[in-house]
Amino acid sequence: MKKIMIASIVCVAALYGAESDIEALKTQMHMQQEVIEKLQHRVEELERRDLKKQERELDARIERAESFSGSFDQSAFLPSISLVADMSVLGRNVGNEAYENYEIPGFLSNPGEIPFNPKRGFNLNYGELGISATVGPYFDVDSAFHIEKDGLHIGELYVTTRTLPYHLRMKAGKFKSEFGVINAKHQHAWNFTNIPLVFETFFGPGGLGDEGMQMQWVAPTENYLMAGVEAMQGSNGRSFGDTDKINLWTGYLKGGADFGESGTAVAGLTYMRGRNPHGITHIYGGDLTLKTLFGSYSALTWQSELLYRDKEGTGDQAGLYTELIYDYNQQWAGGARYDLLFKNVGDLPEDLDRYTVMLQYRPFEFSKLRLQYTYDRSKWIEGDRKDIQELLLGLTIEAGSHGAHAF
Amino acid sequence: MKKFIFVWFSLISALLAEIHVVTTYPYLAEIAKEVGGEGVRVKSLASPKFDPHFILPKPSLIPALRKADLLVINGAGLEIGWLPPLIKRANNPKIRPGGEGFVDASRVVDLLGKTHAVSRAYGDVHPEGNPHYALDPHNVLPIAALIERKLETIDPASKRRYRENFDRFSREWREFLKDFDAKMARCRGKKVVQYHELYNYLLHRYGMESTGTIEPLPGIAPSSKHTVELIGMMKKEGVDTILQDVYHESKTARFIASKTEAKVVVLPHDVGAVEGADTLRKFYETVAERLCR
Repeated sequence: MKKIMIASIVCVAALYGAESDIEALKTQMHMQQEVIEKLQHRVEELERRDLKKQERELDARIERAESFSGSFDQSAFLPSISLVADMSVLGRNVGNEAYENYEIPGFLSNPGEIPFNPKRGFNLNYGELGISATVGPYFDVDSAFHIEKDGLHIGELYVTTRTLPYHLRMKAGKFKSEFGVINAKHQHAWNFTNIPLVFETFFGPGGLGDEGMQMQWVAPTENYLMAGVEAMQGSNGRSFGDTDKINLWTGYLKGGADFGESGTAVAGLTYMRGRNPHGITHIYGGDLTLKTLFGSYSALTWQSELLYRDKEGTGDQAGLYTELIYDYNQQWAGGARYDLLFKNVGDLPEDLDRYTVMLQYRPFEFSKLRLQYTYDRSKWIEGDRKDIQELLLGLTIEAGSHGAHAF
Repeated sequence: MKKFIFVWFSLISALLAEIHVVTTYPYLAEIAKEVGGEGVRVKSLASPKFDPHFILPKPSLIPALRKADLLVINGAGLEIGWLPPLIKRANNPKIRPGGEGFVDASRVVDLLGKTHAVSRAYGDVHPEGNPHYALDPHNVLPIAALIERKLETIDPASKRRYRENFDRFSREWREFLKDFDAKMARCRGKKVVQYHELYNYLLHRYGMESTGTIEPLPGIAPSSKHTVELIGMMKKEGVDTILQDVYHESKTARFIASKTEAKVVVLPHDVGAVEGADTLRKFYETVAERLCR
């Protein structure tokens, strides 16, 4: 091509026959020829260099490959691991042995094992080992193991679906029921160190957790609306306890809405139906949480829940709690809770209540010191009503991978 | 009844055929609006008045995530404290990490401050790097390109429209950057102190220097010992500007200002954080006006 072009230029020049023009063209051609040669030379040089570079890179790669030992290394798939520890020092106006056998008339003849802060003096309540991971495209797994003095207990171990259609999600395994507000939360996420009386007496000091399955559906509405159904074995002895087959069904509805940029409300309704050894247990529940933000780190939260139980063989009983929490900043928070069992069976007392106040300091997001005072009028010690006063200083730390807090 | 609602809803959404984009922060929503144009509905989850690390994961944010076709997050750990439970509860497989409608904008940005020594003993550190890259307007175009590509994937029918929107925005933004860079050039060499390492990308881009932070460690409240040291350093180094964000307390900054004669400059960290910064352009212009007068 190049040659043809040059030839044609020469031809054209010859046709016109101007000698000086031909001379000029010749020198020009010569110069162009030189440029082309230089360029060719450079291209060759670059190609050579590139080849050398490739050879060097291959050499380096071979060297690395010769000493490579990580073919089956799976450390990138390590699940998220966390460790929560909870401990306290405590003073109480009742001796340890007497306290271990307290009674709440009509509700509880014996507290059973008290997992959180049972003794005067020092308490190491638990270490909670949390392991969670995405199993694959279809499942997540979450777990919480409680390391206690007498062994390792499965607090929760459940699998959740990731890709169900129609805005559904399922959970299977052992898990804490997600009805209401406080039940699904772990002890270290509570605002006070003990669960409200009505939860303790109906489900135990850790709330309702059992083996089962759960399905949740988010409604296609502008405001938040979620419906959930849970089927459980019913092994919770305080309200159910007949475990011959699937014996506990729970359904709940939760809704939420905002008020302006800083206010939000969440409300829920619950119904449970389960079997106890003497018949059927129905539980009706309602909850309401109002929160207003004063800034990124300051908020006021008012949270209340009510539970009503109709248990065949026992009778109708009910209780509620209401608490107000003020987060002053990221470090300081304070709160008060009123706790009441207001409906009892027969002629048994209906003024079983408790007052709790707390002051909380977080030196850092993942550690919390809490000073809590409790005035408890719900308990009978050695057959007599006894007002129990308790002062507690607790420390909770959350180390390792840290899941975000749910609302 | 449920069936009826479902049929009715799918009918309505088919008729409108709108693409729902949800972003975690307002600046991402502004970029998505530019690229998406008409036919794309964009909503930001977080309010710019609050600390982007600590957004309240209230259930009222779930309906938007439930119906989202695309979720754009800032990434680099900024949402780790509030977004995961919301995504989980929204029951929308499209926008789960790894899903077709999930995109992490930090992947197209060169992150500064990647730490090799990661321990919570250093406070609330982000091992991925500093996540506050929104402060550098040069990061806007790569993010816009990423969002455009994602929109093409989830809505191929409108491919051409997204391309056109992006081309137009890209031309306009390059023009804007020319002006903006010229304005910011006046600030070259400025030494500042900031509350949190929030403005590093801006300072780095325009040749300014962050000489210290009011918080002793990321996420740790100021201490009097650290504040005294900071004042001493500022006097020695001749630092005359304290950058204050809208969501931290400003008492400490004012105290330091009174001891050093430095002035406190409140800078927005996102679109809408301060008055007058309610579009992407105005956000950066407000930064330039307040910092480089």
